[in-house]
Amino acid sequence: MPTTVDGSIVGRGNADGARLFREWFAGLTAAAEAGRGSAYVFVMGSLAELLRTFDFPIVFPEINSLQTAVRRVAHEYLNQAEDHGYSPDICGYVKADVATQLRGGELPMGRIPKPSIAVHTNACNTYVKWAEIWERMYKVPVVTIDVPGTRAAGTQTWPGHPDFENDRQYVLAQLRELIPTLERVSGVPFDIDRLREAMGHANTMNVMWRRVLELNAARPSVFNALSDGTIYLGVANGFRGAPEGARYFTELVEEMEYKSAHGIGTLTDERYRLLFIGVPCYPIFRRFTEMFTELGGTFVGSTYLRFASGGANLGFTYDLDRPLESLAEGLLLGVRDAMDNMFFQTDILIRMLDDLAADGLVYHPIKSCRTVSTGLADSRRALLAARDVPSLFIESDMMDRRVVSEAQLKNRIDAFFEGLASRRAQAALHTG
Amino acid sequence: MTAPQIFPDWHGQPLDGVIAACRQLLEDDTYPTVRRWREAGGTVAGHFQVYFPEEIAHAAGMLPFKVRGGPVDPTQADSRFGSYLCSIVKTSLELVLSRRIELELFVTHPICDAARNLAAVWGRNFPYPCQILYLPQNANSAHAAAYLRGEYDRLRRTVEDVSGRRVTDDALRASLTVFNANRSLLRELYALKRETPWLAAADETYALMAVGGLIPREEHNALLAAALPQLRARTTRRHDRVRVVFEGGFCEQPPLDLLRAIARSCYVVDDDLLIGLRWILEDVPTDGDPLGNLAEAYLERSSYSPVQHDLRKPKEDMLLARIRGADAQAAIVTAAKMCEPGLEEQVTYTHALEEHGVPFFVSEFEENMTSFETLEIQLETFVENLLFD
Amino acid sequence: MAYAAGVDVGSTQTKAVLVDERRRIVARSLTMTGANVIRAAGQAFQEALRGGDLREEEVEYVVGTGYGRYKVTFGNTQVTEISCHGRGAVHMFPATRTVVDMGGQDTKAIRVSAGGEIVDFCMNDKCAAGTGRFLGAASSALEIPLDELGPTALRGERPVKISTTCTVFAESEVLSWLGKGKKIEDILLGVHQSIAGRSTGLLRRVGLEEEITFTGGVARNVAMIETLQESLGLRVNVSDDSHYMGALGAALFALDHILAARHPTTRQAS
Repeated sequence: MPTTVDGSIVGRGNADGARLFREWFAGLTAAAEAGRGSAYVFVMGSLAELLRTFDFPIVFPEINSLQTAVRRVAHEYLNQAEDHGYSPDICGYVKADVATQLRGGELPMGRIPKPSIAVHTNACNTYVKWAEIWERMYKVPVVTIDVPGTRAAGTQTWPGHPDFENDRQYVLAQLRELIPTLERVSGVPFDIDRLREAMGHANTMNVMWRRVLELNAARPSVFNALSDGTIYLGVANGFRGAPEGARYFTELVEEMEYKSAHGIGTLTDERYRLLFIGVPCYPIFRRFTEMFTELGGTFVGSTYLRFASGGANLGFTYDLDRPLESLAEGLLLGVRDAMDNMFFQTDILIRMLDDLAADGLVYHPIKSCRTVSTGLADSRRALLAARDVPSLFIESDMMDRRVVSEAQLKNRIDAFFEGLASRRAQAALHTG
Repeated sequence: MTAPQIFPDWHGQPLDGVIAACRQLLEDDTYPTVRRWREAGGTVAGHFQVYFPEEIAHAAGMLPFKVRGGPVDPTQADSRFGSYLCSIVKTSLELVLSRRIELELFVTHPICDAARNLAAVWGRNFPYPCQILYLPQNANSAHAAAYLRGEYDRLRRTVEDVSGRRVTDDALRASLTVFNANRSLLRELYALKRETPWLAAADETYALMAVGGLIPREEHNALLAAALPQLRARTTRRHDRVRVVFEGGFCEQPPLDLLRAIARSCYVVDDDLLIGLRWILEDVPTDGDPLGNLAEAYLERSSYSPVQHDLRKPKEDMLLARIRGADAQAAIVTAAKMCEPGLEEQVTYTHALEEHGVPFFVSEFEENMTSFETLEIQLETFVENLLFD
Repeated sequence: MAYAAGVDVGSTQTKAVLVDERRRIVARSLTMTGANVIRAAGQAFQEALRGGDLREEEVEYVVGTGYGRYKVTFGNTQVTEISCHGRGAVHMFPATRTVVDMGGQDTKAIRVSAGGEIVDFCMNDKCAAGTGRFLGAASSALEIPLDELGPTALRGERPVKISTTCTVFAESEVLSWLGKGKKIEDILLGVHQSIAGRSTGLLRRVGLEEEITFTGGVARNVAMIETLQESLGLRVNVSDDSHYMGALGAALFALDHILAARHPTTRQAS
């Protein structure tokens, strides 16, 4: 094993990720100041590959909203939206964005331009209602790309099957209908070669993202799926289809392979490898991860990195000879996989447990997100019936500080680790 | 196939007796009609809110049963779900976990994120197919109808597997005829509510309509056909009540007692209660391709709700049209507790109503709430303001 | 003879338990927590020492538990009350597989393995409606002392249905039933049933497995025991020391440390 560590490579992904994010926001602020419009999109099925070819600045309201929580100002935004009439019980991301719009796009990170168009899938039904808000606020076109998902557990169909083809034809038709709208709104004619180029970058990103996730099978694991993973995810979404994104992920794989080869992990003492299921607790983001790392627990995998990347974890490679057809297929498979990670996750989790050699699972349902949380208790029950593995079930929110109780979370996390330790001690007694 | 009479309770009764029988059935948490259907050897297709193409299940000889919560305590279902959730998803699961009803098939729709999870939750708990019927959320795509026809065909295949019967085009046409008749009768009922609301209180017309989700449509048709002329013949005096549109009952249903409380001070001249039963606004053509016609009707000749996305039907415009069409003076804009689309739409509705100078009353409800004192007081105050304006 | 101590610092009351190396309880104490949590922990410990006629030096290891566990400054380590209640319950009733702990502030449902390890847990600590706090609210609304609530409720014959989900509003619901002429016994029985119902819901979430042991201060309430058993359809174990279960569990964990130091391969028994 080499005795010197290449300092420039370890930690590069985090540093570059932060830099890219700042650059992205600087670009958005400039667009806002110049009065330019933009495309508003969501992480599950963003179609950034297509939208980039029309020179739209790309805005991800979900990312903006979670940043207000990470930067501790979410409560101001939430209060403003609630004063405006929105219920405390609905998705916190929506409310933070409503307040952002009411503030002329002002955010702690910079300013975002108004939408000149919004394009969304129905991977989350809240996207539909959210876009309707912009439709009324700004009188701009809002396009729903309807992507049918899995109908029932274990019934996924594949290219060639009549049901898959029925879905694919629908998605393809919608993409074809979308293009003239994009041309009209942007004033830029559609250039299929530019689309090929963007899809080529997305191909690199998909394949590399899949590799990064796999590399965490290393012992010790090479990144924390909760803290580090969220940075990588930000780039995966914000730079989807862009050359910077492709370069970032190529370099990220390089960094992770290096770490893996040199046994460089994330914790001084990696005692427990955990899977995270749900959306992070952004209001106390750093502290939340610490409550686990303090006790030797690190996250080796998370469903969040799968569904919130719109299924990029599949590593789907677009066929650039048939760009539109392949874009439709990739969208269908990716968005479907994202939804499967939330609804039909038992088998997915069992594979992750095995592939990543995880010792336990942490379920984190969040109150204001029904997509992720509705079935989580039942899903957990099914998993525990299939596999005897320790799990923790802690509920808070991804935006609303009022329903996040650090003391309560710590109490439960501590108890979970007590259980992990005692389970390991018992196992050692039986084998040792 | 001649279906056995499974809801004979109203036969030979005077109108009040018919309504009472309907009300009793709605409040009976043992679901006797479903039981009787099964005892006679029938199979049941449970379908969640809002709209389901019942004709497809009916054509296979199944009883389409509208799963929409119920007057039960979700003691077993509660532990399956998280918090911040509407009651209807929990009570619906409870009905089957507690064996009050049994199904051969369960279908839910992508109306909202809670409902989409149901296929997974139910699928883990029951051995029969529990699936999502992906009704299109891009009604504005030229391809939507073709897609939906393909999706209906997929559903047809599932129904055939489950029922063991082929769903032929002729069987579909026959079912379309039955359901067209049902929708026509419901339109008559709603015309009566609009034109002569004093003849039938909101909770009465609700009971007459809602039993349709629990009994064979043929029997419902017979019931409505018998009740309507009797309603028209009533000699109830017209009172000085405010004409309102009730909005927010598209999924989880308000308790009957709440409707009764509202009816004490208002005439509910139109509403979206159980809109799924009245989703299609005109007869679906029975000639040609019945499945394709049904798919097209869903998109082109349908009502509106906060959970169907269609750029041609902005909800606030549709609500204003409903208010105008029913000659209503005000709107009661409700949402079920924790109903995300309902709560979000409330904001859009109230802003539009305010802009157009239409008085409105905003509230939330839960299907099994038992005390309405606070709500009644607020509503009475609202009505008084209107009357004395 | 070695001695171990557990100090359970709750939001309202602090309990301390001393055990000897044969796992026998030699002293218990209870004091109000008050505003000075560190002092309360110390007081409870000192009182237990007096009760057991022991000097501080004789206690070799102290474990702090409860919400104020980090304030047991003289303690050697902290263990969550979840683990402690599980441990204490299994010690008292070795066939315990599920524990329901009702304290003043929260209710916990804990599933334990045959070896006493925590398998799963579920807590109701965001809302007072399923907790002892609800009883406190009823007690003040009806002006009946807390320890009379149980016997009074048991006399109820036609319990009212408490429908509100919030303790604050439940107070006004209790008073409105009184106004409608309902008997206090029937109202109280309804209140107990409501709490029992919610606790049953928690237990179902965690998975009910017999035997079930009821711990915490509220376990001394006879009506609570009965309504809980009715709601579960199962018997529950109750110890006279139910109030001290957390402190007992903590003391047992403390004893583990003492024994492990002596015999490093000693197996953890309950």
